[in-house]
Amino acid sequence: MKVKKSTAFAFVVPFLVFFMAFWVIPFVYGLYISLHKYSFAVGRQEFVGLKNYARILAGDSIHKEAFYLGMGNTIKFVICTVPILVLGSLALALIVNELPEKVKKYYRAVYFASYSVSVTAVASTFVWLMKGNGGYLNNLMKKLGLISEPIYWLEKEPFVWITLTVATIWWTVGYNMMLYISALNEIDEQMYEAARVDGGGYWKTLIYITLPNIKSTFYFILMTTVIASFNVYGQTRLITQGGPGESTKSVIMVINSTILTNNNLGIGTAMAILMGVVILICTLGQNWLTRERDNL
Amino acid sequence: MMSKKRLNTIILVFVASVIAYLFLLPFIFMVFTSFKELEDSLTATSLFPKRWTMENYVELFRNTNSSPVVRWLGNTVLVTVTGTALRLSVSTTAAYALSRLDVPGKKFIVGGLVWGMAIPEIVTLFPLFYIFKQIGMINTYWPLILPSGSGVMVIYYIYTFLQDFPMELEEAAYLDGASIMKILRYIVLPSIRPVLVTQGFITFLGLYNNFLWSSLVVNQTKMQTVTLGLATLTLGENDNRPGLMMAATVVAVLPVLLVFLFANKYIVRGFTRSGIK
Repeated sequence: MKVKKSTAFAFVVPFLVFFMAFWVIPFVYGLYISLHKYSFAVGRQEFVGLKNYARILAGDSIHKEAFYLGMGNTIKFVICTVPILVLGSLALALIVNELPEKVKKYYRAVYFASYSVSVTAVASTFVWLMKGNGGYLNNLMKKLGLISEPIYWLEKEPFVWITLTVATIWWTVGYNMMLYISALNEIDEQMYEAARVDGGGYWKTLIYITLPNIKSTFYFILMTTVIASFNVYGQTRLITQGGPGESTKSVIMVINSTILTNNNLGIGTAMAILMGVVILICTLGQNWLTRERDNL
Repeated sequence: MMSKKRLNTIILVFVASVIAYLFLLPFIFMVFTSFKELEDSLTATSLFPKRWTMENYVELFRNTNSSPVVRWLGNTVLVTVTGTALRLSVSTTAAYALSRLDVPGKKFIVGGLVWGMAIPEIVTLFPLFYIFKQIGMINTYWPLILPSGSGVMVIYYIYTFLQDFPMELEEAAYLDGASIMKILRYIVLPSIRPVLVTQGFITFLGLYNNFLWSSLVVNQTKMQTVTLGLATLTLGENDNRPGLMMAATVVAVLPVLLVFLFANKYIVRGFTRSGIK
């Protein structure tokens, strides 16, 4: 279709205006801020080059300590949640797929429903399910005689990690399951017919046909889940409030308090950029992995 | 004699039901606790209330200073509806033009979009917050709504959909003298509807449930969305009021669950269509 170039461009302009204002400008401005000593309240003070980054990564500043603490906690969270979010969702998808056609959609809806609620609702609910004093789970376990003293699910390590993991899985595992289900439905029916003729049982079919066919979905889910878990904020902010001590303070919480509490916009922005780089490396690594495997 | 296949199905349904119960448990807990009296809610070992009471809801809606729930819901409707409409409209026209028309600088624009998708949101979040603070828009609706227009994912999904979609119909209409606006309205829009519904729901969900960004740009109680308001209550002085907290949670969750149930059918379809390759 031949339309004037200016007409064609006019269709893109509204989006470009928003993209410039709310993505390009803050991105460039962020890089600029990170190269300066920059106070959140007072504003720009002086150009310091890469010193903000150096102070975060090396040396012995409080910023380095805070950043590494946040990174360590966040990585712990990633290790706790990712395996279950990636493999548990696959198990759910396989279960749903084998259910009788009539009831399938109800189970699928139940597993997916919790994805639609906000992290604040997840937090308030799990706080009252798991609270040390007056929480439902402790009341129940005491009554059943399983424990005599309450377990401090929100207040003590290692229990806080269990709470954060369970809450996160309840919240988001359904989304990955939906992605797996859609991938499973796209597998060519004929391959299964062939396997049936050859007399392959369920597990053989699963290993030789189903799993190889959803490989790229698996990598995609792995990547997006690692990134999502890396971005953890709401759960640690609201369920454990970073505690006990600062043992569950995530990177984003560290960035947040560096900027708002310590007033240090320069350092905080540099931390956010560093975190962005880590995530970007994950993305690229995953892309590379997928491409590499496909070539083999 | 029961066949082995039938037995397997029964075991599977049983396992699936146990898991379904675990998934429903937080919802059940939330709803029943919101109808419990204070003493009962703190000591109960049964999910079911001993005596049903509305006192939690009455109190929640009465405390219009600490929890202006109706105002929160109104804010939420305003932010989610305008934010979703904004993103869908600017994304649709842009994706259509990039897919079908000869846009000058197309390569450059697409390159920018790819970067927009690859660079994590956290990088732009705080500088953007600082910009809004500098121009005095903290505690207004603007920062809650406007950034929604810069989202790239919707363009990506519409664009990929259109790339696989035959364009004969559009060309025929064009030869018959239909304007681009007409083609967009009467041919393209109906065909991309499933993508718009799914992406609209995901955008709506993102705006409804947003916590980090809205907690930065809004700190006045009356400007909060219901999601943010709930966070304030959770972190506030409700340390020993599970019933009240769960009432607030039910109010915050109910609208989004209703939309979910209504849209469920379309979402599932959207997942299968825009499923990743």
